[in-house]
Amino acid sequence: MEKNGILWVREVSKSYRRVRALDSLTLSVERGSAFSLLGPNGAGKTTLMKILLGLVSSDSGEVLMQGIPVSSPASRTGVRYLPENITFPQWASPLVLFRQMERVRREVSMDQFLVRCAELECSELLRRPVGRMSRGQRQRVALSLVTCGDPVLVLLDEPSSGLDPGGRILVRNLIGNLSRMGSTVLLNSHLLGDVERVCHTAAFISRGRLVAMGDLDSLSRHTGLVMVETGEPERMSAALFESGYSCRQDQRGLAVELDESADFGTMVRAVLDTGIGFTGVNRKRESLEDVFLRIMGDEAMEKDGGKGKRECS
Amino acid sequence: MFLNGLEQLLRRKIVLTAVAATLVFLGLFWWGVSAAAGAEIPGNGGEEEFQAAKMLKPADAALAAVITSAPLAATLITALMIVIGSTMLPEEIDEGRMPFWLSLPQSRLKVYSLTSLAPLALSFVLALLIFGGILAITRSYFMFTPRNLLLVPVSMLSWLAVVWSAVILLSLLVRKVAAMLIAFFLTAVSSLFGGLHEIMRMFPGEAPPLLESITRAVILLFPADRGYRGVLYGIIPSDAAITENLAFFGVTAGVPALQLAYALFWSLVLLALGYWRFRRMDF
Repeated sequence: MEKNGILWVREVSKSYRRVRALDSLTLSVERGSAFSLLGPNGAGKTTLMKILLGLVSSDSGEVLMQGIPVSSPASRTGVRYLPENITFPQWASPLVLFRQMERVRREVSMDQFLVRCAELECSELLRRPVGRMSRGQRQRVALSLVTCGDPVLVLLDEPSSGLDPGGRILVRNLIGNLSRMGSTVLLNSHLLGDVERVCHTAAFISRGRLVAMGDLDSLSRHTGLVMVETGEPERMSAALFESGYSCRQDQRGLAVELDESADFGTMVRAVLDTGIGFTGVNRKRESLEDVFLRIMGDEAMEKDGGKGKRECS
Repeated sequence: MFLNGLEQLLRRKIVLTAVAATLVFLGLFWWGVSAAAGAEIPGNGGEEEFQAAKMLKPADAALAAVITSAPLAATLITALMIVIGSTMLPEEIDEGRMPFWLSLPQSRLKVYSLTSLAPLALSFVLALLIFGGILAITRSYFMFTPRNLLLVPVSMLSWLAVVWSAVILLSLLVRKVAAMLIAFFLTAVSSLFGGLHEIMRMFPGEAPPLLESITRAVILLFPADRGYRGVLYGIIPSDAAITENLAFFGVTAGVPALQLAYALFWSLVLLALGYWRFRRMDF
Protein backbone atom coordinates (compact mmCIF):
# COMPACT_ATOMS: atom_id res chain seq x y z
CA MET A 1 0.00 0.00 0.00
CA GLU A 2 1.30 3.42 -0.98
CA LYS A 3 1.60 5.98 1.76
CA ASN A 4 1.60 8.73 -0.83
CA GLY A 5 -1.86 7.77 -2.13
CA ILE A 6 -4.63 10.24 -1.50
CA LEU A 7 -5.86 8.17 1.44
CA TRP A 8 -3.92 5.75 3.54
CA VAL A 9 -5.54 3.97 6.45
CA ARG A 10 -3.65 1.44 8.54
CA GLU A 11 -4.98 -0.72 11.37
CA VAL A 12 -7.61 1.79 12.41
CA SER A 13 -9.97 0.85 15.20
CA LYS A 14 -12.79 2.78 16.78
CA SER A 15 -15.31 1.81 19.45
CA TYR A 16 -18.36 3.62 20.70
CA ARG A 17 -18.78 2.38 24.24
CA ARG A 18 -19.23 -1.37 23.69
CA VAL A 19 -19.83 -1.21 19.97
CA ARG A 20 -16.80 -1.82 17.74
CA ALA A 21 -17.36 0.47 14.77
CA LEU A 22 -14.02 -0.17 13.07
CA ASP A 23 -11.75 -3.11 13.70
CA SER A 24 -8.14 -2.87 12.51
CA LEU A 25 -9.23 -1.57 9.14
CA THR A 26 -6.56 -1.05 6.51
CA LEU A 27 -7.05 0.39 3.04
CA SER A 28 -5.67 2.91 0.61
CA VAL A 29 -7.14 4.95 -2.22
CA GLU A 30 -5.25 6.03 -5.31
CA ARG A 31 -5.40 9.57 -6.62
CA GLY A 32 -8.00 10.24 -9.29
CA SER A 33 -10.08 7.15 -8.64
CA ALA A 34 -13.77 6.91 -7.88
CA PHE A 35 -13.81 4.71 -4.82
CA SER A 36 -16.85 3.34 -3.08
CA LEU A 37 -17.33 2.18 0.48
CA LEU A 38 -19.88 -0.61 0.53
CA GLY A 39 -21.45 -2.47 3.39
CA PRO A 40 -24.67 -2.87 5.32
CA ASN A 41 -25.95 -0.20 7.68
CA GLY A 42 -23.75 0.07 10.74
CA ALA A 43 -20.76 -1.46 8.98
CA GLY A 44 -18.57 1.53 9.87
CA LYS A 45 -18.49 3.36 6.52
CA THR A 46 -19.60 6.74 7.86
CA THR A 47 -17.32 6.37 10.88
CA LEU A 48 -14.40 5.78 8.51
CA MET A 49 -15.30 8.88 6.49
CA LYS A 50 -15.46 10.93 9.68
CA ILE A 51 -12.11 9.63 10.87
CA LEU A 52 -10.60 10.63 7.52
CA LEU A 53 -11.88 14.16 8.06
CA GLY A 54 -10.78 14.36 11.68
CA LEU A 55 -14.39 14.61 12.84
CA VAL A 56 -14.05 11.43 14.87
CA SER A 57 -10.83 10.37 16.52
CA SER A 58 -9.71 6.78 16.11
CA ASP A 59 -8.77 4.68 19.12
CA SER A 60 -5.71 3.31 17.34
CA GLY A 61 -4.10 3.16 13.93
CA GLU A 62 -2.71 5.65 11.49
CA VAL A 63 -4.55 7.72 8.89
CA LEU A 64 -2.98 9.93 6.24
CA MET A 65 -4.82 12.11 3.77
CA GLN A 66 -2.74 13.60 0.95
CA GLY A 67 0.23 12.18 2.85
CA ILE A 68 -0.53 14.29 5.94
CA PRO A 69 -1.88 12.96 9.26
CA VAL A 70 -5.59 13.75 9.47
CA SER A 71 -5.10 15.48 12.81
CA SER A 72 -3.61 18.37 10.83
CA PRO A 73 -6.04 20.81 9.14
CA ALA A 74 -3.60 20.97 6.20
CA SER A 75 -4.65 17.42 5.27
CA ARG A 76 -8.08 18.82 4.37
CA THR A 77 -6.87 21.41 1.85
CA GLY A 78 -8.87 20.90 -1.33
CA VAL A 79 -10.99 18.25 0.39
CA ARG A 80 -14.78 18.51 0.28
CA TYR A 81 -17.32 16.62 2.33
CA LEU A 82 -21.05 16.29 1.99
CA PRO A 83 -22.53 14.77 5.17
CA GLU A 84 -25.57 12.56 4.89
CA ASN A 85 -27.75 14.90 6.92
CA ILE A 86 -27.06 18.58 6.75
CA THR A 87 -29.55 21.35 7.45
CA PHE A 88 -28.65 24.71 6.04
CA PRO A 89 -30.13 27.82 7.67
CA GLN A 90 -33.65 28.14 6.32
CA TRP A 91 -33.25 31.82 5.45
CA ALA A 92 -30.05 31.41 3.45
CA SER A 93 -30.00 31.23 -0.34
CA PRO A 94 -27.34 29.27 -2.24
CA LEU A 95 -25.53 32.53 -3.00
CA VAL A 96 -25.39 33.39 0.71
CA LEU A 97 -24.22 29.87 1.55
CA PHE A 98 -21.52 30.06 -1.09
CA ARG A 99 -20.33 33.40 0.30
CA GLN A 100 -20.26 31.95 3.83
CA MET A 101 -18.31 28.94 2.65
CA GLU A 102 -15.76 30.93 0.72
CA ARG A 103 -15.10 33.11 3.74
CA VAL A 104 -13.58 29.98 5.21
CA ARG A 105 -12.16 27.89 2.36
CA ARG A 106 -11.18 30.62 -0.18
CA GLU A 107 -10.70 28.09 -2.97
CA VAL A 108 -13.49 28.64 -5.46
CA SER A 109 -14.62 31.55 -7.63
CA MET A 110 -18.23 32.54 -8.12
CA ASP A 111 -17.99 31.52 -11.78
CA GLN A 112 -16.91 28.01 -10.83
CA PHE A 113 -19.86 27.77 -8.46
CA LEU A 114 -22.26 28.95 -11.16
CA VAL A 115 -20.89 26.36 -13.59
CA ARG A 116 -21.52 23.58 -11.07
CA CYS A 117 -25.02 24.89 -10.37
CA ALA A 118 -25.75 24.79 -14.08
CA GLU A 119 -24.42 21.23 -14.28
CA LEU A 120 -26.69 20.15 -11.45
CA GLU A 121 -29.62 22.13 -12.84
CA CYS A 122 -30.13 24.38 -9.85
CA SER A 123 -29.17 27.77 -11.34
CA GLU A 124 -32.73 29.01 -10.96
CA LEU A 125 -32.54 28.41 -7.21
CA LEU A 126 -29.59 30.70 -6.53
CA ARG A 127 -31.61 33.41 -4.78
CA ARG A 128 -34.26 31.20 -3.22
CA PRO A 129 -34.05 30.61 0.56
CA VAL A 130 -33.27 27.00 1.42
CA GLY A 131 -36.45 26.84 3.50
CA ARG A 132 -38.51 27.20 0.32
CA MET A 133 -36.84 24.35 -1.53
CA SER A 134 -37.78 20.69 -1.84
CA ARG A 135 -35.46 18.06 -0.39
CA GLY A 136 -34.12 17.18 -3.81
CA GLN A 137 -33.45 20.82 -4.65
CA ARG A 138 -31.60 21.28 -1.36
CA GLN A 139 -29.49 18.23 -2.09
CA ARG A 140 -28.55 19.52 -5.53
CA VAL A 141 -27.61 22.89 -4.04
CA ALA A 142 -25.54 21.15 -1.36
CA LEU A 143 -23.74 19.12 -4.00
CA SER A 144 -23.03 22.27 -6.03
CA LEU A 145 -21.60 24.00 -2.96
CA VAL A 146 -19.43 21.06 -2.03
CA THR A 147 -18.11 19.99 -5.41
CA CYS A 148 -17.60 23.34 -7.16
CA GLY A 149 -14.10 24.32 -8.27
CA ASP A 150 -11.34 21.78 -8.61
CA PRO A 151 -11.44 19.68 -5.46
CA VAL A 152 -8.63 17.23 -4.80
CA LEU A 153 -10.82 14.80 -2.91
CA VAL A 154 -14.60 14.68 -2.54
CA LEU A 155 -16.23 12.57 0.15
CA LEU A 156 -19.92 12.02 -0.49
CA ASP A 157 -22.11 10.32 2.07
CA GLU A 158 -25.32 9.17 0.38
CA PRO A 159 -25.30 12.01 -2.19
CA SER A 160 -28.39 10.74 -4.01
CA SER A 161 -30.50 10.84 -0.88
CA GLY A 162 -33.80 12.57 -1.62
CA LEU A 163 -33.16 12.84 -5.35
CA ASP A 164 -35.54 11.74 -8.10
CA PRO A 165 -34.22 9.51 -10.95
CA GLY A 166 -33.25 12.59 -12.96
CA GLY A 167 -31.30 13.93 -9.98
CA ARG A 168 -29.57 10.58 -9.52
CA ILE A 169 -28.41 10.67 -13.13
CA LEU A 170 -27.04 14.18 -12.59
CA VAL A 171 -25.11 12.97 -9.54
CA ARG A 172 -23.72 10.01 -11.46
CA ASN A 173 -22.60 12.32 -14.25
CA LEU A 174 -21.09 14.69 -11.71
CA ILE A 175 -19.04 11.94 -10.09
CA GLY A 176 -17.90 10.76 -13.51
CA ASN A 177 -16.87 14.30 -14.47
CA LEU A 178 -15.04 14.87 -11.18
CA SER A 179 -13.13 11.66 -11.66
CA ARG A 180 -12.26 12.51 -15.25
CA MET A 181 -11.00 15.94 -14.18
CA GLY A 182 -8.58 14.27 -11.75
CA SER A 183 -10.49 14.58 -8.47
CA THR A 184 -10.67 11.55 -6.25
CA VAL A 185 -14.19 10.65 -5.18
CA LEU A 186 -14.97 8.60 -2.11
CA LEU A 187 -18.58 7.53 -2.29
CA ASN A 188 -20.69 6.01 0.43
CA SER A 189 -23.95 4.85 -1.08
CA HIS A 190 -26.39 2.00 -0.83
CA LEU A 191 -27.46 2.53 -4.45
CA LEU A 192 -25.33 -0.22 -5.96
CA GLY A 193 -26.59 0.46 -9.46
CA ASP A 194 -25.16 3.98 -9.25
CA VAL A 195 -21.92 2.79 -7.68
CA GLU A 196 -21.48 0.21 -10.41
CA ARG A 197 -21.83 2.87 -13.09
CA VAL A 198 -19.43 5.49 -11.68
CA CYS A 199 -16.88 3.82 -9.40
CA HIS A 200 -13.72 1.99 -10.42
CA THR A 201 -12.88 0.43 -7.10
CA ALA A 202 -14.70 -0.50 -3.93
CA ALA A 203 -14.05 -1.61 -0.39
CA PHE A 204 -16.54 -3.95 1.24
CA ILE A 205 -16.80 -3.34 4.96
CA SER A 206 -18.67 -5.48 7.41
CA ARG A 207 -18.77 -5.08 11.19
CA GLY A 208 -15.92 -2.60 10.98
CA ARG A 209 -13.63 -4.97 9.08
CA LEU A 210 -12.45 -4.85 5.50
CA VAL A 211 -13.91 -7.92 3.81
CA ALA A 212 -12.79 -7.30 0.25
CA MET A 213 -11.29 -4.54 -1.84
CA GLY A 214 -10.41 -4.13 -5.48
CA ASP A 215 -11.53 -2.85 -8.83
CA LEU A 216 -15.09 -3.74 -9.65
CA ASP A 217 -14.25 -5.79 -12.75
CA SER A 218 -11.91 -8.07 -10.87
CA LEU A 219 -14.41 -8.51 -8.03
CA SER A 220 -17.15 -9.52 -10.42
CA ARG A 221 -17.11 -13.22 -11.37
CA HIS A 222 -18.40 -15.00 -14.42
CA THR A 223 -21.86 -16.33 -13.60
CA GLY A 224 -21.66 -19.44 -15.77
CA LEU A 225 -24.26 -18.03 -18.14
CA VAL A 226 -24.11 -16.58 -21.62
CA MET A 227 -26.91 -14.27 -22.66
CA VAL A 228 -28.15 -14.67 -26.22
CA GLU A 229 -30.24 -11.78 -27.50
CA THR A 230 -32.69 -13.09 -30.01
CA GLY A 231 -36.19 -12.43 -31.23
CA GLU A 232 -36.99 -16.17 -31.27
CA PRO A 233 -35.88 -17.49 -27.89
CA GLU A 234 -37.98 -20.69 -28.02
CA ARG A 235 -36.56 -21.81 -31.35
CA MET A 236 -33.03 -20.82 -30.33
CA SER A 237 -33.40 -22.68 -27.04
CA ALA A 238 -34.55 -25.86 -28.79
CA ALA A 239 -31.76 -25.65 -31.35
CA LEU A 240 -29.04 -25.10 -28.73
CA PHE A 241 -30.48 -27.91 -26.61
CA GLU A 242 -29.94 -30.24 -29.57
CA SER A 243 -26.29 -29.08 -29.65
CA GLY A 244 -25.93 -30.07 -25.99
CA TYR A 245 -26.44 -26.72 -24.28
CA SER A 246 -28.83 -26.21 -21.43
CA CYS A 247 -30.86 -23.00 -21.74
CA ARG A 248 -33.47 -21.03 -19.83
CA GLN A 249 -35.37 -17.87 -20.55
CA ASP A 250 -35.41 -14.88 -18.23
CA GLN A 251 -36.63 -11.32 -18.65
CA ARG A 252 -33.32 -10.22 -20.19
CA GLY A 253 -33.26 -12.89 -22.86
CA LEU A 254 -32.07 -16.43 -23.35
CA ALA A 255 -29.54 -17.65 -20.78
CA VAL A 256 -27.26 -20.48 -21.87
CA GLU A 257 -25.36 -22.36 -19.19
CA LEU A 258 -21.63 -22.40 -19.88
CA ASP A 259 -18.87 -23.30 -17.46
CA GLU A 260 -15.87 -21.01 -17.11
CA SER A 261 -13.74 -23.82 -18.56
CA ALA A 262 -15.98 -24.39 -21.61
CA ASP A 263 -15.04 -22.81 -24.92
CA PHE A 264 -16.98 -19.61 -25.58
CA GLY A 265 -16.10 -19.69 -29.31
CA THR A 266 -17.59 -23.16 -29.76
CA MET A 267 -20.78 -21.95 -28.12
CA VAL A 268 -20.97 -18.88 -30.39
CA ARG A 269 -20.43 -21.16 -33.38
CA ALA A 270 -23.36 -23.29 -32.19
CA VAL A 271 -25.52 -20.17 -32.08
CA LEU A 272 -24.47 -19.25 -35.62
CA ASP A 273 -25.14 -22.79 -36.82
CA THR A 274 -28.76 -22.60 -35.70
CA GLY A 275 -29.40 -20.12 -38.50
CA ILE A 276 -31.70 -18.17 -36.24
CA GLY A 277 -31.26 -14.39 -36.10
CA PHE A 278 -29.65 -12.91 -32.99
CA THR A 279 -28.30 -9.49 -32.00
CA GLY A 280 -25.77 -10.34 -29.33
CA VAL A 281 -24.00 -13.05 -27.33
CA ASN A 282 -22.40 -11.98 -24.05
CA ARG A 283 -20.86 -13.74 -21.10
CA LYS A 284 -22.90 -12.69 -18.09
CA ARG A 285 -20.86 -11.39 -15.16
CA GLU A 286 -22.09 -10.75 -11.65
CA SER A 287 -23.72 -7.39 -11.05
CA LEU A 288 -22.43 -5.38 -8.13
CA GLU A 289 -25.50 -6.44 -6.21
CA ASP A 290 -24.56 -10.09 -6.79
CA VAL A 291 -20.99 -9.35 -5.71
CA PHE A 292 -22.26 -7.54 -2.63
CA LEU A 293 -24.50 -10.40 -1.60
CA ARG A 294 -21.80 -12.99 -2.29
CA ILE A 295 -19.13 -11.15 -0.32
CA MET A 296 -21.32 -10.03 2.54
CA GLY A 297 -23.22 -13.32 2.65
CA ASP A 298 -26.03 -13.48 5.13
CA GLU A 299 -24.49 -10.76 7.25
CA ALA A 300 -25.88 -7.99 5.07
CA MET A 301 -29.37 -9.43 5.34
CA GLU A 302 -29.23 -10.14 9.05
CA LYS A 303 -27.97 -6.69 9.92
CA ASP A 304 -31.03 -4.96 8.52
CA GLY A 305 -33.55 -7.68 8.96
CA GLY A 306 -33.78 -8.02 5.19
CA LYS A 307 -33.91 -4.27 4.56
CA GLY A 308 -30.46 -4.36 3.01
CA LYS A 309 -31.60 -6.29 -0.02
CA ARG A 310 -34.25 -3.75 -0.91
CA GLU A 311 -31.85 -0.83 -0.48
CA CYS A 312 -29.22 -2.46 -2.61
CA SER A 313 -31.50 -3.27 -5.50
CA MET B 1 -16.57 31.76 10.82
CA PHE B 2 -17.10 34.80 13.01
CA LEU B 3 -18.97 36.70 10.30
CA ASN B 4 -20.98 33.59 9.45
CA GLY B 5 -21.96 33.21 13.09
CA LEU B 6 -22.90 36.87 13.33
CA GLU B 7 -24.93 36.66 10.14
CA GLN B 8 -26.71 33.62 11.51
CA LEU B 9 -27.45 35.34 14.82
CA LEU B 10 -28.79 38.50 13.19
CA ARG B 11 -31.42 36.40 11.43
CA ARG B 12 -32.72 34.94 14.66
CA LYS B 13 -36.01 36.17 16.05
CA ILE B 14 -34.67 36.29 19.60
CA VAL B 15 -31.97 38.76 18.54
CA LEU B 16 -34.38 40.91 16.59
CA THR B 17 -36.70 40.85 19.61
CA ALA B 18 -33.84 41.90 21.87
CA VAL B 19 -32.93 44.77 19.55
CA ALA B 20 -36.58 45.87 19.48
CA ALA B 21 -36.79 45.55 23.27
CA THR B 22 -33.67 47.69 23.61
CA LEU B 23 -35.15 50.41 21.45
CA VAL B 24 -38.47 50.25 23.33
CA PHE B 25 -36.61 50.35 26.63
CA LEU B 26 -34.63 53.41 25.58
CA GLY B 27 -37.80 55.06 24.28
CA LEU B 28 -39.57 54.51 27.58
CA PHE B 29 -36.51 55.68 29.47
CA TRP B 30 -36.40 58.85 27.39
CA TRP B 31 -40.07 59.46 28.05
CA GLY B 32 -39.64 58.91 31.81
CA VAL B 33 -36.55 61.09 32.12
CA SER B 34 -38.06 63.91 30.06
CA ALA B 35 -41.21 63.78 32.19
CA ALA B 36 -39.14 63.81 35.39
CA ALA B 37 -37.04 66.72 34.16
CA GLY B 38 -40.08 68.93 33.72
CA ALA B 39 -41.92 67.82 36.86
CA GLU B 40 -42.47 69.95 39.96
CA ILE B 41 -41.23 68.41 43.21
CA PRO B 42 -44.37 67.37 45.09
CA GLY B 43 -44.92 68.44 48.69
CA ASN B 44 -47.15 70.54 50.88
CA GLY B 45 -45.26 73.69 49.99
CA GLY B 46 -43.43 74.08 53.29
CA GLU B 47 -40.27 76.17 53.52
CA GLU B 48 -38.13 73.15 54.55
CA GLU B 49 -39.14 71.10 51.53
CA PHE B 50 -38.58 74.08 49.27
CA GLN B 51 -35.05 74.48 50.63
CA ALA B 52 -34.36 70.73 50.27
CA ALA B 53 -35.57 70.80 46.69
CA LYS B 54 -33.35 73.75 45.97
CA MET B 55 -30.34 71.74 47.24
CA LEU B 56 -30.92 68.92 44.71
CA LYS B 57 -28.60 69.14 41.77
CA PRO B 58 -29.08 67.67 38.25
CA ALA B 59 -26.49 65.02 39.08
CA ASP B 60 -28.70 63.70 41.89
CA ALA B 61 -31.60 63.18 39.48
CA ALA B 62 -29.20 61.65 36.96
CA LEU B 63 -27.92 59.23 39.59
CA ALA B 64 -31.49 58.10 40.33
CA ALA B 65 -32.23 57.66 36.63
CA VAL B 66 -29.07 55.64 35.96
CA ILE B 67 -29.33 53.47 39.06
CA THR B 68 -32.98 52.54 38.46
CA SER B 69 -32.55 51.75 34.76
CA ALA B 70 -29.20 49.92 34.80
CA PRO B 71 -30.44 46.65 36.41
CA LEU B 72 -33.20 46.34 33.80
CA ALA B 73 -30.74 46.93 31.00
CA ALA B 74 -28.34 44.41 32.53
CA THR B 75 -31.11 41.81 32.80
CA LEU B 76 -32.02 42.25 29.13
CA ILE B 77 -28.43 41.91 27.94
CA THR B 78 -27.70 38.95 30.24
CA ALA B 79 -30.85 37.14 29.13
CA LEU B 80 -29.97 37.64 25.48
CA MET B 81 -26.42 36.45 26.03
CA ILE B 82 -27.61 33.33 27.82
CA VAL B 83 -30.18 32.42 25.17
CA ILE B 84 -27.98 32.95 22.12
CA GLY B 85 -24.83 31.69 23.82
CA SER B 86 -26.43 28.43 24.90
CA THR B 87 -27.76 27.66 21.42
CA MET B 88 -24.94 28.81 19.16
CA LEU B 89 -22.72 25.71 19.17
CA PRO B 90 -25.44 23.11 19.90
CA GLU B 91 -27.48 24.26 16.89
CA GLU B 92 -24.49 24.04 14.57
CA ILE B 93 -23.86 20.54 15.91
CA ASP B 94 -27.48 19.30 15.94
CA GLU B 95 -28.23 20.50 12.42
CA GLY B 96 -25.16 18.82 10.97
CA ARG B 97 -23.34 22.00 10.00
CA MET B 98 -20.48 21.54 12.45
CA PRO B 99 -19.02 18.47 10.66
CA PHE B 100 -19.24 20.47 7.49
CA TRP B 101 -17.28 23.43 8.94
CA LEU B 102 -14.77 21.13 10.58
CA SER B 103 -14.17 19.29 7.32
CA LEU B 104 -12.72 22.49 5.88
CA PRO B 105 -8.98 23.12 6.32
CA GLN B 106 -9.19 24.97 9.62
CA SER B 107 -8.40 23.97 13.17
CA ARG B 108 -11.00 23.07 15.78
CA LEU B 109 -9.74 25.93 17.91
CA LYS B 110 -10.51 28.40 15.15
CA VAL B 111 -13.98 26.98 14.54
CA TYR B 112 -14.74 26.91 18.27
CA SER B 113 -13.46 30.35 19.13
CA LEU B 114 -14.78 32.22 16.10
CA THR B 115 -18.21 30.60 16.21
CA SER B 116 -18.48 31.23 19.94
CA LEU B 117 -17.30 34.80 19.62
CA ALA B 118 -20.38 35.94 17.70
CA PRO B 119 -22.76 35.96 20.74
CA LEU B 120 -20.21 37.92 22.78
CA ALA B 121 -19.73 40.50 20.04
CA LEU B 122 -23.45 40.93 19.53
CA SER B 123 -24.21 41.25 23.25
CA PHE B 124 -21.33 43.69 23.67
CA VAL B 125 -22.63 45.94 20.90
CA LEU B 126 -26.14 45.79 22.30
CA ALA B 127 -24.85 46.55 25.82
CA LEU B 128 -22.91 49.54 24.49
CA LEU B 129 -26.07 50.70 22.75
CA ILE B 130 -28.30 50.38 25.80
CA PHE B 131 -25.91 51.77 28.40
CA GLY B 132 -24.73 54.44 25.97
CA GLY B 133 -28.38 55.32 25.39
CA ILE B 134 -29.06 55.56 29.11
CA LEU B 135 -26.04 57.83 29.52
CA ALA B 136 -26.88 60.06 26.55
CA ILE B 137 -30.57 60.43 27.41
CA THR B 138 -29.89 61.18 31.07
CA ARG B 139 -27.15 63.71 30.21
CA SER B 140 -29.41 65.48 27.75
CA TYR B 141 -31.83 66.33 30.60
CA PHE B 142 -29.55 66.39 33.66
CA MET B 143 -26.08 67.52 32.68
CA PHE B 144 -23.38 65.61 34.55
CA THR B 145 -19.94 64.16 34.04
CA PRO B 146 -19.68 60.34 34.25
CA ARG B 147 -17.28 59.05 36.87
CA ASN B 148 -15.10 56.94 34.61
CA LEU B 149 -16.16 56.35 31.02
CA LEU B 150 -12.94 54.54 30.17
CA LEU B 151 -13.80 51.91 32.76
CA VAL B 152 -17.13 51.13 31.07
CA PRO B 153 -16.05 49.09 28.00
CA VAL B 154 -13.47 47.12 29.97
CA SER B 155 -15.95 46.36 32.75
CA MET B 156 -18.63 45.51 30.21
CA LEU B 157 -16.29 43.09 28.48
CA SER B 158 -15.33 41.37 31.73
CA TRP B 159 -18.98 41.11 32.81
CA LEU B 160 -20.22 39.72 29.49
CA ALA B 161 -17.16 37.51 28.99
CA VAL B 162 -17.81 35.65 32.25
CA VAL B 163 -21.47 34.99 31.37
CA TRP B 164 -20.54 34.13 27.79
CA SER B 165 -17.75 31.69 28.59
CA ALA B 166 -19.89 30.00 31.25
CA VAL B 167 -22.84 29.53 28.94
CA ILE B 168 -20.66 28.29 26.06
CA LEU B 169 -19.07 25.71 28.36
CA LEU B 170 -22.45 24.67 29.77
CA SER B 171 -23.95 24.31 26.30
CA LEU B 172 -21.28 21.70 25.52
CA LEU B 173 -21.88 19.78 28.72
CA VAL B 174 -25.65 19.73 29.18
CA ARG B 175 -28.79 20.25 27.13
CA LYS B 176 -29.66 23.73 25.89
CA VAL B 177 -32.48 24.34 28.36
CA ALA B 178 -30.41 23.10 31.28
CA ALA B 179 -27.50 25.30 30.18
CA MET B 180 -29.82 28.32 30.11
CA LEU B 181 -31.31 27.58 33.53
CA ILE B 182 -27.92 27.01 35.16
CA ALA B 183 -26.52 30.18 33.61
CA PHE B 184 -29.53 32.22 34.78
CA PHE B 185 -29.11 30.78 38.26
CA LEU B 186 -25.39 31.59 38.34
CA THR B 187 -25.89 35.17 37.20
CA ALA B 188 -28.72 35.69 39.68
CA VAL B 189 -26.58 34.36 42.53
CA SER B 190 -23.65 36.47 41.37
CA SER B 191 -25.82 39.59 41.25
CA LEU B 192 -27.32 38.91 44.68
CA PHE B 193 -23.99 38.37 46.38
CA GLY B 194 -22.43 41.22 44.41
CA GLY B 195 -25.03 43.52 45.97
CA LEU B 196 -24.42 42.04 49.40
CA HIS B 197 -20.70 42.63 48.93
CA GLU B 198 -21.35 46.32 48.31
CA ILE B 199 -23.53 46.57 51.43
CA MET B 200 -20.88 44.77 53.47
CA ARG B 201 -18.36 47.36 52.31
CA MET B 202 -20.62 50.03 53.80
CA PHE B 203 -20.65 48.35 57.19
CA PRO B 204 -17.35 46.53 57.53
CA GLY B 205 -17.17 43.86 60.18
CA GLU B 206 -20.90 43.85 60.86
CA ALA B 207 -21.95 41.01 58.59
CA PRO B 208 -21.82 37.40 59.85
CA PRO B 209 -18.43 35.88 58.94
CA LEU B 210 -20.11 32.97 57.16
CA LEU B 211 -22.03 35.34 54.88
CA GLU B 212 -18.83 37.25 54.16
CA SER B 213 -17.07 34.01 53.27
CA ILE B 214 -19.91 32.90 50.99
CA THR B 215 -19.97 36.29 49.30
CA ARG B 216 -16.23 36.18 48.71
CA ALA B 217 -16.48 32.63 47.37
CA VAL B 218 -19.28 33.55 44.95
CA ILE B 219 -17.29 36.52 43.67
CA LEU B 220 -14.30 34.27 43.15
CA LEU B 221 -16.23 31.48 41.49
CA PHE B 222 -18.45 33.55 39.22
CA PRO B 223 -17.16 37.11 38.98
CA ALA B 224 -19.75 38.40 36.49
CA ASP B 225 -21.18 40.95 38.92
CA ARG B 226 -17.83 42.76 39.30
CA GLY B 227 -17.89 43.76 35.66
CA TYR B 228 -21.51 44.90 35.84
CA ARG B 229 -20.67 47.09 38.88
CA GLY B 230 -17.79 48.53 36.89
CA VAL B 231 -20.18 49.56 34.13
CA LEU B 232 -22.57 51.10 36.65
CA TYR B 233 -19.88 52.96 38.56
CA GLY B 234 -18.39 54.16 35.31
CA ILE B 235 -21.52 55.97 34.14
CA ILE B 236 -22.88 57.42 37.39
CA PRO B 237 -22.25 61.16 37.91
CA SER B 238 -18.88 62.14 39.33
CA ASP B 239 -20.50 64.84 41.40
CA ALA B 240 -18.45 65.70 44.48
CA ALA B 241 -21.39 65.46 46.90
CA ILE B 242 -22.27 61.96 45.68
CA THR B 243 -18.70 60.80 45.94
CA GLU B 244 -18.42 62.24 49.44
CA ASN B 245 -21.68 60.61 50.51
CA LEU B 246 -20.63 57.27 49.12
CA ALA B 247 -17.21 57.62 50.76
CA PHE B 248 -18.96 58.34 54.05
CA PHE B 249 -20.51 54.89 53.81
CA GLY B 250 -17.18 53.39 52.89
CA VAL B 251 -18.17 52.74 49.27
CA THR B 252 -15.66 53.83 46.70
CA ALA B 253 -18.13 53.34 43.84
CA GLY B 254 -15.41 51.65 41.87
CA VAL B 255 -14.22 48.17 41.05
CA PRO B 256 -10.52 47.42 41.49
CA ALA B 257 -8.80 46.80 38.16
CA LEU B 258 -7.49 43.52 39.55
CA GLN B 259 -11.04 42.23 39.99
CA LEU B 260 -11.84 43.05 36.36
CA ALA B 261 -8.66 41.39 35.20
CA TYR B 262 -9.52 38.37 37.33
CA ALA B 263 -12.98 38.17 35.69
CA LEU B 264 -11.39 38.26 32.23
CA PHE B 265 -8.88 35.60 33.25
CA TRP B 266 -11.70 33.48 34.67
CA SER B 267 -13.63 33.70 31.42
CA LEU B 268 -10.54 32.52 29.55
CA VAL B 269 -10.31 29.55 31.90
CA LEU B 270 -13.96 28.63 31.24
CA LEU B 271 -13.42 29.10 27.53
CA ALA B 272 -10.38 26.82 27.62
CA LEU B 273 -12.44 24.18 29.44
CA GLY B 274 -15.09 24.52 26.76
CA TYR B 275 -12.47 24.03 24.07
CA TRP B 276 -11.10 20.99 25.86
CA ARG B 277 -14.58 19.49 25.72
CA PHE B 278 -15.15 20.57 22.10
CA ARG B 279 -11.81 19.11 20.97
CA ARG B 280 -12.72 15.72 22.40
CA MET B 281 -16.17 15.58 20.80
CA ASP B 282 -16.94 13.23 17.92
CA PHE B 283 -19.12 14.72 15.20
